[in-house]
Amino acid sequence: MPPYGSLNVSKWLGVATVIAAMLAGASYAHGQKQTERYIPLGQSPGLSGKTTALGVVESANSAARAITVAGRTFRVTERTRIWLDRSRIKLTTQDGSFADLQPGRRVEVMPESGTPGAPAAWIKVEMTASGGANR
Amino acid sequence: MQVQRAGRQVRKIALSGVLLGLVAACQTPPPPPADPEQALIAKGRELFFNETFAGNGRTCGSCHREEANFSIDPAFIATLPPDDPLFVAEFNPDLKANFENPRLMREFGLILENLDGFDDLPNKFVMRGVPHVLGLRNSVASPQGPRTGWSGDGAPGDGSLRSFATGAVIQHFTKTLNRVAGVDFRLPTDEELDALEAFQLSLGRQEDLVLPLPLKGTVAKRGQEIFLDNNLGKCNLCHQNAGANANFGAGSLGNANFDTGVENLPDQPARLTGEKVPHDDGFGRPGDGTFNTPPLVEAADSGPFFHNNAIETIEGAVGFYDGESFNNSPAGQLLAAADPEGNGIELDGTQIVEIAAFLRVINALENIRQSTTLLTQSLDKKVADTTRAPELINRARPEIRDAAQVLAGAGLHPQAVAHLETAAKAARKAAKRWFGRRDLTERALQELQKARAELIETLAMPERKG
Repeated sequence: MPPYGSLNVSKWLGVATVIAAMLAGASYAHGQKQTERYIPLGQSPGLSGKTTALGVVESANSAARAITVAGRTFRVTERTRIWLDRSRIKLTTQDGSFADLQPGRRVEVMPESGTPGAPAAWIKVEMTASGGANR
Repeated sequence: MQVQRAGRQVRKIALSGVLLGLVAACQTPPPPPADPEQALIAKGRELFFNETFAGNGRTCGSCHREEANFSIDPAFIATLPPDDPLFVAEFNPDLKANFENPRLMREFGLILENLDGFDDLPNKFVMRGVPHVLGLRNSVASPQGPRTGWSGDGAPGDGSLRSFATGAVIQHFTKTLNRVAGVDFRLPTDEELDALEAFQLSLGRQEDLVLPLPLKGTVAKRGQEIFLDNNLGKCNLCHQNAGANANFGAGSLGNANFDTGVENLPDQPARLTGEKVPHDDGFGRPGDGTFNTPPLVEAADSGPFFHNNAIETIEGAVGFYDGESFNNSPAGQLLAAADPEGNGIELDGTQIVEIAAFLRVINALENIRQSTTLLTQSLDKKVADTTRAPELINRARPEIRDAAQVLAGAGLHPQAVAHLETAAKAARKAAKRWFGRRDLTERALQELQKARAELIETLAMPERKG
């Protein structure tokens, strides 16, 4: 077999290390995930029923910017996307805010990571004809 | 006279009945495959090409055409009728604005994507080519999770290939820009996602090549050497074994993302038109400028190249890595940092053509493998089967055509091209005829093997792992 380029081993190992570090730092967030906003509550493939918390808002603490859903508490940060899922009333999804996370509203929360206490990456709020109180 | 005429009529009616019975027997829908995996793949195929998900009429196959290597390019687009669902933005008033750019679609095969969100449709979008979906089994996995689409982040949900169809339906199948599930489209069910994933994973190569191959052609053989030379071509570092996975010497990095500077190319064709083509920031939101590494085995017949279809020919695509846009990019700088003389990639014209020749030959070999498989499968069908055998043969024909074109396009292996053209003729006749179909198919197979033998030492296999 011909010598396909003798590697400068130390240099290439350095490059490999840099690249591995770059890749390890790749964030969870993904671009075409933007279509996520149009997926109704509970229907996100591979996430709903596995990674997300689905239930009603049990409490919302605006001072701490945190909500409790299905017994789990999630922080809401500047990075958290809040979407008003209006598919049940046949209207398009809108952006929401912390004020929309009212107790009693049905929501789905995706944590940023699997780490306990991780903030929410996105929250979908189910909106209905009556405004969203589904209980 | 009347008795004779009546007798002839009775015989005609009887004969017609027998023929109708035969035809009916032959056209009975195929039974579902006994193997559950094959049944799932068959269901996925049906969904991929025929299911509109109650949307604007498009299917997955609207952009990922089987006869065009599961992609589309301007030449293929030019053959489509004006009412093809691909052109829905041209005839559906609800999708007239901010859904596609018909000029860029027709001229450059570009599709509009809202990768950075849907909050500013007139200004926030990117224009991308249609990546083929061949060989996905070897080109999606990375240690950081699945990588789909041009920037590796093509899927919502868990980001997997399985979830990809959900995002595609929302982006491309919608009836209006409201994108309301249950109104503008329906989302694929879990079962449908399973089937679509199984079908896509079944397409093309199921394993990566193991290079070097015992190639016969002088130019392609030299191209392979340069490709594998980590001090010259350096191609194999990111495209190990001409696939989509990187390996810098410390183990596989999987299907990695790199910023290779394609966005910085001057005179990009789509931007020359004066149409709005925003900067594409690649992976993530905001993007980090990186794009996902595609496999190269299938490259030569699936251009134009790169995420923005910026370069039409495989020679041009290889030449890109010798240019300033690449060598000034983060990926180019990384290579330069590891080079004893501080060079990124420096190639001369002959070397660019040689690498391209290598890519053309391995593409032709893959075309031959695919078409051989399909033709062989057609021989397994019963003689009376008038639908499934021709269907398989017709699926083989574009592969044979492509093999001939990628070789002839660079003046490579004229004898192999002659064999491929003979194989194409035999396959075309085999697809049309009932009598003699088997002989014609076998003839096509023989010619394919002769063509293959022109390209590669046939006794010195294995060409593939496993």
